Amino acid sequence: MLPDEILDTLQSQFPCRESQIQQLTTFYSEHHLPSPPLLVAHGLTATGKSSIIKSLLELSSLPHTIIRCRECITGRHLLERIVASSLDALDAFGDEKIDRRRYARTENLSSLVVNLQRLLEGRGKFVLVLDGIDKQREAPPTMMAALGRFREVIPNLSIILISSLPLTQALYTSSTPHVHFVPYPRSSLLTIISTKPPKIFLTPPSADKFPDYTSELAAEDDAWLWGRFTAAVYDSLSKHTGRDLVSFRMTAMKLWRAFVEPIVAGSFGTRDFSRLMVNRRHLFQGEEGVLDRIIASESPLINAGSSLTSSAAPLTAKRNMRTLAHDLPYYTKHLLIAAYLASYNPSRTDVTYFMKHTDKRKNKRRVHHAASTGYTKAKHRKISRHLLTPSPFPLDRLLAIFRALLDDPNVPQAADLYTQIATLTSMRLLVRAGGAGSADALEPGAKWRVGFGWEYARGLGRSVGLEVGEYLVGGVD
Amino acid sequence: MEYEKCYIYAPPEPSSEERPLKRPRTSKSHSQPQLPERLSAYRRIWTQQEKRIQQTLEDADSVTQEKIVRFIGASTPSEKEPQTPIPTGLVVAGPSIASHGSFFSRLGQSIKSETNSAYTVLTSGECPNLKTLLKCLVKKITSRTDDGDEDGDLHHSGVSARKGPRLLDFDLGHVQQWQNKNKTQHIVIAIQDTEAFDTAVLVELVDIIYSWLDRLPFVLLFGIATSAENFEDRMSGRSLRYLDGQKFDVTQSDVIIEKLFGATLASTDVPLRIGPTLSHRLLDRQKDHVQNVQDFIDGLKYAYMSHFYANCPSIFLDEGLLFNDVSSESFEALRNLPSFRRWIETMLENGNASDVRILLESDQSLYEKIVEHVGLGQAAMASLSQAASLFHVVRENLQLSPPVRLSTIWTRAAAGDIIGSPLFRETMLSVKKTSSDRLVPLLLFLKELDVEGSPIDWDRFYQNLDKLVQEHAGSGPLRSQDDVRNDSVRTTVIAQKVLLSKHKATLSAQDKAYSDLVARLFDELDKYFTSAFIDPRALFLSEVLMYDLKSPHTEVFQPKPRFAIERALASPHDYLGCSCCDRSQGEGEAILAATQPATAILYQLFLESGVLINASDLWSAFEAIIGEDNQEDESRTSALIQRALAELRYLGLVKPSRKNTDHVGKIMWKGL
Repeated sequence: MLPDEILDTLQSQFPCRESQIQQLTTFYSEHHLPSPPLLVAHGLTATGKSSIIKSLLELSSLPHTIIRCRECITGRHLLERIVASSLDALDAFGDEKIDRRRYARTENLSSLVVNLQRLLEGRGKFVLVLDGIDKQREAPPTMMAALGRFREVIPNLSIILISSLPLTQALYTSSTPHVHFVPYPRSSLLTIISTKPPKIFLTPPSADKFPDYTSELAAEDDAWLWGRFTAAVYDSLSKHTGRDLVSFRMTAMKLWRAFVEPIVAGSFGTRDFSRLMVNRRHLFQGEEGVLDRIIASESPLINAGSSLTSSAAPLTAKRNMRTLAHDLPYYTKHLLIAAYLASYNPSRTDVTYFMKHTDKRKNKRRVHHAASTGYTKAKHRKISRHLLTPSPFPLDRLLAIFRALLDDPNVPQAADLYTQIATLTSMRLLVRAGGAGSADALEPGAKWRVGFGWEYARGLGRSVGLEVGEYLVGGVD
Repeated sequence: MEYEKCYIYAPPEPSSEERPLKRPRTSKSHSQPQLPERLSAYRRIWTQQEKRIQQTLEDADSVTQEKIVRFIGASTPSEKEPQTPIPTGLVVAGPSIASHGSFFSRLGQSIKSETNSAYTVLTSGECPNLKTLLKCLVKKITSRTDDGDEDGDLHHSGVSARKGPRLLDFDLGHVQQWQNKNKTQHIVIAIQDTEAFDTAVLVELVDIIYSWLDRLPFVLLFGIATSAENFEDRMSGRSLRYLDGQKFDVTQSDVIIEKLFGATLASTDVPLRIGPTLSHRLLDRQKDHVQNVQDFIDGLKYAYMSHFYANCPSIFLDEGLLFNDVSSESFEALRNLPSFRRWIETMLENGNASDVRILLESDQSLYEKIVEHVGLGQAAMASLSQAASLFHVVRENLQLSPPVRLSTIWTRAAAGDIIGSPLFRETMLSVKKTSSDRLVPLLLFLKELDVEGSPIDWDRFYQNLDKLVQEHAGSGPLRSQDDVRNDSVRTTVIAQKVLLSKHKATLSAQDKAYSDLVARLFDELDKYFTSAFIDPRALFLSEVLMYDLKSPHTEVFQPKPRFAIERALASPHDYLGCSCCDRSQGEGEAILAATQPATAILYQLFLESGVLINASDLWSAFEAIIGEDNQEDESRTSALIQRALAELRYLGLVKPSRKNTDHVGKIMWKGL
């Protein structure tokens, strides 16, 4: 394909990337013209770096290979990958099969140089693309610098590095050309997203009832409404939460069906944009559209529409969702509550809170409370304990609080309690605190901490009829 | 010893003829008549139970499993759009971690049989980091092939090793080669215990799988013990964007336990029953400590095993047992049973002395009686179980609150205290008060259920009721005369006193007919329940028909390791049983005596002290107790305390303190 044709195809395929496409096409469209030995394409996520380079190289039919660095687990893996896929690419572009026996091993960077040198000797230009090189796991520390100097030994190799940030510091070579893929501004985002508007009517309205509503008319309506809708989504949500193309598109797609629901139901016309906006304003006020969720089906967006008047309804629904799907056994819950208290109460207050034989308990507690709030407020702001990280505690303290919490003191010292602690540990509700010897399960005096928050603990307490807040130092809220 | 840094302690040799003073008690094993026969009887009976258990478990899971299989079958990654997220199933399997393994293996079987998929399970134990995880994954997927293919595989890899660059063993390229050959539709990766995985590893796994999704059709299943939201909170936003899926709730384990209980213990045709005490313990343990189906089954199996192992007359449970198969010892054992004695005594009171003599002397006639009574007892137990389930059905259909489970009803019935209990009275009263709109579905249900040998003719009741309802033209349902809504309260004020008086509203003719019907039903039900809910422990041969001993069961399933160690150290006499440190001779309190083991003495001193213990104080107290007369030779006492202290440290009771070098820190307290 001629360079101009490539340029035109790419421009139409990737709108709003004129200057980057132009630069890249100049470098990589002709076989006989030299390409820069090293080029860095950088830009934030979803700015079209990888896809433009991939399409360009495919269109220009240069021999090339693209390696996704995030698929490579170690540095060695990356090196092996480079050689293997270069062999595959040359096999595909050339006519004869290359004898692979000489390339069996690529242990380190120098053998990579040797292998590539041997491989590309007497051949034409070859482009090697390393996609996401800054995300490579366990990369050899000298890799970047070495890649920058490959040109000195292999003249016909041209490397493109794709990263999210410019690599000027890491390369140790001056005058490396950089192509910056700037984040799309608002106008470009709207242009790109409006290329493929989704349909308002998943099933077209019956032809008998609306004979005039042709598919052309429907497409026109789709484009009209989608354009206005996406502008509204951008201004209200995506501008503040995720300005990149992918999250913008995701948010818009998530809200779209809920947005056009009244049109499909027939209560609004397709061009009643402003009335529709007012009717569906809750979509743009809530956070549901921008949260990432695995389970898409139980989206509360559609349901929220029916109960517009009360904003409390979705909240309670959410709280119900948060409750335990599966109930824990009785003593397990107490163990968890005890662990929470052990993590968030300082151990010196245990006597005040858990000794059963003192009737001064209430008095002491109130004194403590008043002193802590009244006195410290003036000096420095105190952060509520339950917002801090849990502090570690020894296992015996957990068991002691556990027994203090139970009404029935005659719980046998059975191994079942330890089984439960082990189970909770493998569920990460209880976590072994770090430090030396934390890997040893029999380490005496090992420390633990809890792996859940206040809401969960309160829920647990209420399910067994225990108000956890009463036992918490400083109270809650 | 001041000048010696260390020395070898040579303990004084005890004279060889003398037996050691303290040694554990041992006893000879008893003879076990007819053990092989009882073993075979156990095996036969347990096999039936096991079949029922398997059936129940499979039924319980089948709905969820079908859903998951359908989800996997439906999730075809489209080739055109490269940016589709990974199809993901969040399997919320509940906190009974031990049953996850069997759930996922059953799931794997049904996935493999119903879809063209490869299936692998990853557990946290085998995947400490990303590299090992991928290695494991590659190994598990690619070795799934048949034997014929494996030869080809070996050959192929051999060639590639000689010819060119070899794939590293954690490269998913292996899976791609395998996929090119096998062309499966999905590769399902089930992560069994998601919570136990390192979050960073999971995030990276999702990242890599997403990257490979355009070449390999992955489907992820996450087994979750807590909740799906908890899992979402742990993952990063980017990984969540790569995942898209559904949540599947596995049947809660208490529901499964309830079903298992109904199928195994409260079922009508079970030869051997578990008594109320033990079944109460089994259920309580599930409620309070562990939720684990496997554990319940194990408990049941152990009870069966102990019954047949330790109870000689259990041989009579074997069906088709002939007189010649039974040894005379078994008859002798049977004659010693309390229930046999009770039976004999009632016979004597009735004046059947000759029968009693025959039974006491002739094994043959005893055998005949036993066979007869085993059958009778089993029938009584069956009708008790049936009545319990009927009672449960009645309560459930009348929607009485609080809902009482079948297991609770059965346990109380087996303990013989359901008749006359508030629960029974309340239920029967509400039967009396039921209006027709609730009674119709109940009778319909009972008619459909059609319990075998039920003494009540449900069909007739239903037809009568149906006729009444058909004739009834009014808006509301028919009400019986005991219904509260037929009462009205009148208030009269006489001399500043309020009098409340109840008045029955006048009943219509139809309501009267309905009241008659309800009264008949009530009478029949009452009669039936009173006849069926007997006290099974009063039955002759109840020791054979029912196993209700808690002793070995508690020790096996709920051992108390910490308590045992603490007790052994705090009062060694309990275990040693020697005369020298018998506690009863003292004033009741534990007395420290030199005859006790050194570790025990030190432990009791340790109990009296605070968090930090001065080693020198410990030493002087210890020395005062050991109390050797000659102060010259400290070496024995010193050796004893050093060994005792080392043992305490080994048990994890003390640790050296960093702050004060001459102190030890106390890290365990007694009784926790």
